Amino acid sequence: KMTFFPQLLTGRYRDTQTSITDSSAVYRVSNDKNANVTLIDLPGHESLRLQFLERFKAAARAIVFVVDSVAFQREVKDVAEFLYQVLVDSTVLKNAPALLIACNKQDVTMAKSAKLIQQQLEKELNTLRVTRSAAPTSLDGSATGGPAQLGKKGKDFDFSQLPMKVEFVECSARGSKGEEGDADFEGLEKWLARVA
Amino acid sequence: ERGGNNSFTHEALTLKYKLDNQFELVFVVGFQKILTLTYVDKLIDDVHKEFRDKYRNEFQQKGTLGLLNGTFDFKDDFMRLLRDAEESSKVRAPTVMKTFEQSLKSQKTVKCMIETRGEKPKEKVKNKKNKGSKKEGTEAVAVPGKASAGDKQPSVAGDREELTKDEILQKNREEFFKRHMKAGEKSSKSPKPEAQKEKGKKPRVWDLGNSNAKVLDYSNSATNGSAEACPMEEFDPEIALGDRNREPGRLYDLEYESDDEAEEEKAIQNPSKPSSKKGGLGGMFGMLKGLVGSKSLIREDMDPVLEKMKDHLIAKNVAAEIAVQLCESVAKKLEGKVMGTFTTVTSTVKQALQEALVQILQPQRRVDVLRDVMDAQRHRRPYVVTFCGVNGVGKSTNLAKISFWLIENGFSVLIAACDTFRAGAVEQLRTHTRRLNALHPPENHGGRTMVQLYEKGYGKDAAGIAMEAISYARNQGFDVVLVDTAGRMQDNAPLMTALAKLIAVNAPDLVLFVGEALVGNEAVDQLVKFNKALADHSMAQTPRLIDGIVLTKFDTIDDKVGAAISMTYITSKPIVFVGTGQTYCDLRSLNAKAVVAALMKA
Repeated sequence: KMTFFPQLLTGRYRDTQTSITDSSAVYRVSNDKNANVTLIDLPGHESLRLQFLERFKAAARAIVFVVDSVAFQREVKDVAEFLYQVLVDSTVLKNAPALLIACNKQDVTMAKSAKLIQQQLEKELNTLRVTRSAAPTSLDGSATGGPAQLGKKGKDFDFSQLPMKVEFVECSARGSKGEEGDADFEGLEKWLARVA
Repeated sequence: ERGGNNSFTHEALTLKYKLDNQFELVFVVGFQKILTLTYVDKLIDDVHKEFRDKYRNEFQQKGTLGLLNGTFDFKDDFMRLLRDAEESSKVRAPTVMKTFEQSLKSQKTVKCMIETRGEKPKEKVKNKKNKGSKKEGTEAVAVPGKASAGDKQPSVAGDREELTKDEILQKNREEFFKRHMKAGEKSSKSPKPEAQKEKGKKPRVWDLGNSNAKVLDYSNSATNGSAEACPMEEFDPEIALGDRNREPGRLYDLEYESDDEAEEEKAIQNPSKPSSKKGGLGGMFGMLKGLVGSKSLIREDMDPVLEKMKDHLIAKNVAAEIAVQLCESVAKKLEGKVMGTFTTVTSTVKQALQEALVQILQPQRRVDVLRDVMDAQRHRRPYVVTFCGVNGVGKSTNLAKISFWLIENGFSVLIAACDTFRAGAVEQLRTHTRRLNALHPPENHGGRTMVQLYEKGYGKDAAGIAMEAISYARNQGFDVVLVDTAGRMQDNAPLMTALAKLIAVNAPDLVLFVGEALVGNEAVDQLVKFNKALADHSMAQTPRLIDGIVLTKFDTIDDKVGAAISMTYITSKPIVFVGTGQTYCDLRSLNAKAVVAALMKA
């Protein structure tokens, strides 16, 4: 995420560190309307991600969920869990911002394709919604994601069942030429242009 | 939320960090652990200030883009600061010694003079004070040598003291006259003008030896040793001498401290000193313009609020040391932060504390038991959960509740009765098994018994029973094995070893610590000792520690929910279940926001 951020803004590649706080800046979208959107990059560390999501979810017009296509196979449960938390959040469901799932690191040979990632996520989310709704109810009665039922009951979970528009895109923040090469994220930019 | 301490050790390296909350920067310095570098703190402070001042514009005006686009060419400055810090650390030690001698020992000699000696050495001392500082230093070395010789005859000196009190008075008077004449010269003694003023101020207050003369100096500057001055003089030396006789060490302590402070402030010639003074003044005026402008938070503002919050947390049953650490980390996080308009210090601190508490309670990695059980099912092995804790917290009751929940979700459970000590433990579990089977008869679940008890009576080895239970479950195709252990006190070493052995040998998938919500400061001790025992007695590289916490008897506390905070803070592991009663349905999951709201409620 942090690699995309400066590249979208300035076109240059920067070395990044694990972030402990959010960063935000205004981005000029290259479409007919020439609109400006504010890009906010949230830290992904597991102890921080929920906290920052809480803070910014209400203001989000669109969400870009970046997935590491290489490590996906190993981390599919964590990824799905976080995506589930994003999706069942009541604020997110109410606002239904456009959701883009960016499958990053496509320049590495072992990267999974967007289609595969989509299928895997759907399967995993299917399981998750069963287990989460069966979890013990929360202390003061409000269920932990219980009433927010993802998708349709009885049918296997599908991203098209969500109230918001979900798209999958492949991209690479580093580009196939290595570190200093041009990043390959036209898909991301086009989607941003559409959303703005 | 753990921002309280600012150093971190990893293998051979130590990292120290400093936060700049105003511009959201982190300064980290890494060095080898074996080197004890005294200048590290100072270096990091200097770097922080220089960097901030140099690039202040970029931060303020351009924000994030400034950070991205700006080039931060700090290397030369950094090398310079590093060199300065290294030099100052080498030079500082000897200079401190010298100034000590100059100010303290010479003063001491005067007192010794007054007590035991004649007039000649006194004059010598005074003459030395008129000369330059270095010479004073060296000569003062010689004089204490003589004075200490005098000190070595304490009993004799004591006698002499009492005998020659009149003499002493006379000497004091003479001293006063002489000092009064040389008051001006004395002021030039100290090399650095600013600090010398402070030294002049402090000894006036604390230093009984010289304060006679100095105090009288300033108050009776006009007079010239007239008779009026004498009665005051008689008064002071007696008191001074009297005290010194009774508690010789104590006065020196005070002097040492004051001189120490004076020394330190003299030696450290930093821009930090004037800026800290400015900060103090700014803080005072800042309170006045706090409502209007934006000011940055300083420690003094936050301290009263933090004290109150700490007491509030302790009143809500949070362990005392945890409350202290929490308040420390909140202070560190907010120090230097620029507050918005119309926000009071109290509200900012409260919000920061609330965020920290929610952060603590919300698990890093949510423990989804059902998901993990499904995984284990796929691999055709049973999912093993072990319950441990001290006596009487509700392990067996909550075990039954959890097995009920698992059965509801369609998993078959084997209960392993590894509590072979407590009378009635096995019978208790047998009763639960019978009840659960009555609630979920085999007919409803395709003919298989959902709950079964594996027990081997009393007095046997718990670890062995657990191992047999797990292999039995694997053979019979049970999905989950719940292992109930005996309650044990954390200080009971043999029992802790036995528990550690059980866990190390059987390698359960989930180790749950059962703790009651009524516990107070004990929670910290229990968890620390349990984790330590598990770590010590495990043979593996990465020992199995406590993976989650079950908080029981939650219905007995109404809003004194602090135990939840203490437990999660100590282990950083989530609270998986909350027990709220004695029936099978009284099993809940934790709602972090509700608990924090209950905590912060007045």
